[in-house]
Amino acid sequence: MAEIVLENVSYTYPGESAPTLAGLNLTIEHGRAHALLGASGAGKTTMLNLLSGLLHPSSGRILFDGVDVSLLDARARDVALVFQFPVLYESLSVIENLVFPLMNRGWQRTDAVSRAVEISTELGIEGIHDAKPAVLSLFQKQLVAIGKSLMRDDVDLVLLDEPLTAVEPSIKWRLRQTLTRLQQSHGLTMVYVTHDQTEALTFAEEVSVMARGTILQTGKPVDIFQSPNCRFVGHFIGSPGMQFVDCDVADRTARLTGHNSDEVAVALDLPNGHYQLGARVEWVRVRREPGSWQVQGSTILGTEVGEARVLLTLTMGDQKLQAQATGKWSVGDNVNVIFDRFILFDDEKAVVNG
Amino acid sequence: MDKSIQNNRAWLGVLPVLLVVAFSAVVPLMTVVNYSVQDILDVNTRFFVGFDWYRETLADPRLQSALIRQLGFSAIVLLIEIPLGIVIALALPRDGPLTASLLLLFAVPLLIPWNVVGTIWQIFARGDIGLLGVALGEIGIVFNYAADPAHAWITLVAMDIWHWTSLVVLLAFAGLSSIAPAYYQAAALDGASRLQVFRYIELPKLRGVLTIAVLLRLMDSLMIYTEPFVLTGGGPGNSTTFLSQYLATKAVGQFDLGPAAAFSVIYFLVVLLLCWIFYTSVVRKKAADDV
Amino acid sequence: MFKGRTAATLLLAVYTIYLLAPLYWLFTMAISRNQDIVGKFELFPASPTVANFVEIFTKEVWYSGFINSLTYVTLNTVISITVALPAAYVFSRYRFLGDRQLFFWLLTNRMAPPAVFLLPFFQLYSAVGIFDTPLAVALAHCLFTVPLSVWILEGFMSGVPREIDEMAQLDGHSFLSFFFRIFIPINRGAIGVTVFFCFMFSWVELLLARTLTASDAKPIVVVMTRTVSASGMDWGVLSAAGLLTVVPGLVVVWFVRKHLVQGFTLGRVN
Repeated sequence: MAEIVLENVSYTYPGESAPTLAGLNLTIEHGRAHALLGASGAGKTTMLNLLSGLLHPSSGRILFDGVDVSLLDARARDVALVFQFPVLYESLSVIENLVFPLMNRGWQRTDAVSRAVEISTELGIEGIHDAKPAVLSLFQKQLVAIGKSLMRDDVDLVLLDEPLTAVEPSIKWRLRQTLTRLQQSHGLTMVYVTHDQTEALTFAEEVSVMARGTILQTGKPVDIFQSPNCRFVGHFIGSPGMQFVDCDVADRTARLTGHNSDEVAVALDLPNGHYQLGARVEWVRVRREPGSWQVQGSTILGTEVGEARVLLTLTMGDQKLQAQATGKWSVGDNVNVIFDRFILFDDEKAVVNG
Repeated sequence: MDKSIQNNRAWLGVLPVLLVVAFSAVVPLMTVVNYSVQDILDVNTRFFVGFDWYRETLADPRLQSALIRQLGFSAIVLLIEIPLGIVIALALPRDGPLTASLLLLFAVPLLIPWNVVGTIWQIFARGDIGLLGVALGEIGIVFNYAADPAHAWITLVAMDIWHWTSLVVLLAFAGLSSIAPAYYQAAALDGASRLQVFRYIELPKLRGVLTIAVLLRLMDSLMIYTEPFVLTGGGPGNSTTFLSQYLATKAVGQFDLGPAAAFSVIYFLVVLLLCWIFYTSVVRKKAADDV
Repeated sequence: MFKGRTAATLLLAVYTIYLLAPLYWLFTMAISRNQDIVGKFELFPASPTVANFVEIFTKEVWYSGFINSLTYVTLNTVISITVALPAAYVFSRYRFLGDRQLFFWLLTNRMAPPAVFLLPFFQLYSAVGIFDTPLAVALAHCLFTVPLSVWILEGFMSGVPREIDEMAQLDGHSFLSFFFRIFIPINRGAIGVTVFFCFMFSWVELLLARTLTASDAKPIVVVMTRTVSASGMDWGVLSAAGLLTVVPGLVVVWFVRKHLVQGFTLGRVN
């Protein structure tokens, strides 16, 4: 397994005027489980193809353990690839599928078969060796595809392109567990591409959030969640995503924009101006005391220790916030809002964590 | 595809089709079978003769030789056109303007009236005014398909290849196009050779379209009439008289309704039989492979 | 993607030349006068002429032949698609008593040698009084084009999700409204492909077209096979006529070019 470095990598599809990927920098340590998270069109698949060797960067370099592999083809790089749907040789049995990559590299059949038995036992598919893919379930087929990708023992990188997409929701978690187990036991460097943040945040040790051809932020899942470095990441991560209210900074004090101008923070080292305050729903606390905010609506989420848990929608002029609270609230109630935690954003970037 | 709605009123939808096909097929076919078991001297005088005509027809040496020629012709053109069509489809780039234009060009021979196909080759292969005939003459071969049976066969086969290979190409190309690029990518990562890619990825996918291709070519070559008729008229002598032409001569020319009808029925059964043999052998083989 | 792109390119080039050569020759013949053709062999006519085409456009026997052929091909296509659409819809959406047998039986009609039907068609159509009309040829060709149309349309329609039918129902469409305003437009591509295949059969066929017509509805294919004047075969006019018969094919291909490849999967991409 290798350490993967992307140095200022850009890619423009032939015939396109604008680059799909622009100036990417990323380091993935060896043995890491890394997720590339982004909506469709963000450039994840292009990234994947650059890593696998199916595409070559228009500029910049890709290094595996310090070796520049940018111009090497897929065949020459030592990568394994798992696709969104199981890509198997339909006319060959499971065992034949598994030994195929090794036989082509000169392995002896007995060695190849014993390794296939080893891998398939780990995956729990040792019972279906002689079956043809057509009779297997989608889940089993994807396991075989994963097994195939692990057969070669000299692989530098395992790439997975939304491997859970085709699998039923009820068994997605099983596949995810299997992948995590394998990654840890074999010490694989795995890059996992997905648009599903639950998958990314639960599977990976490190996540890169991508949008519009760049990596917005790379970090541990908890860091991305707690400290997004830009509004897009804040909004994209979390369900629901981060919410934003307008605020102004004057004389190093931040106040919410609105006729009562609640003070939010003092002694800030920021120039005067207009900012966005980002807060997740969990960071907002509501107090039953006169304040600048009004309850506009209330949705019951459940009960907690006999009391109702509600999601409140609050307004202050044009501004809107959602918060969780307990008890009974009425529309029109005047309340005060406390931010346990917030992040100030200037245009797109985060400038302060509070 | 879940077709779980059982509804016998659906028959209303197929009623128009049934009416048209009944008029075009069932009624005429019944007539043919009817004639095949009767001796018809004139409109009012007819005798039931059972299978006499069938026996007589099957024993007819001219029928037998037409049948042999027919089977030989069908075998030759199939053995050339199917592999050739596949290879050309493989040679075509998966997409791009060149492929698009080539496919349009390839479709053209399929849409030319069959007699024009015959006429084109009739002129093309002539030793005096045809490009091919004259070219062969330049390199020392006196080409005359009207006099030499071997030349006639060569011209017919060349013409059929020119006419129909494109059908196989288009079908095979369509089949290949349905293979997701992921399969090729996976094969590249597996270190698979070109031959392995063909054997394990492309050929299995082609099986469906190839069945259609072979079935169509088999049926149509067994029924071929116009092109050889225009090109050689069945000659020289009988050397290029195939089944359809023999039947057409008997049915229309000689007013032997009974034997002609019997021959028609036999002909139809032969085509059905060969198609059925091919189809079931492919289906059975596929089922065996899947076990 | 082939062992050596050069081998592939070479093969494609050879095949393309193989297809083009006879067509090129047809073209040069069509623009040459007959006396030049039989007189001297040239790779390209020294004095090209449009006289042959003029002959065709002015002599009634020629242009009526074209009109007759176009008439029955159009009739056949219209009839085939009209009856095939409801049948294909029903086959793709419902199960009913005898449906698989019916479908298979339809296909076997495609396997019937036209020669078998010469005599009965002749008698049947004479009896009904449509002998020597474009309708007769159109109906006779239905023997093959209708099963083919049903087969192709059914293949494509099976790929159209049931949800569309259900949504239309929920939106309050009557069945007919759904069928004509929603379902048929969705299947435009499939219908285009079916037109291609109907045309491919009906325009090119000779035997039945000849047997079922005499003088009134004589198709162009028959006119061509009977063109021998007192002075022998007029290769020039014959070639010009042949060239003109290629044109409708080109038009049809052009119109369905976007659906061509998809059409050849006959809707059955697995």
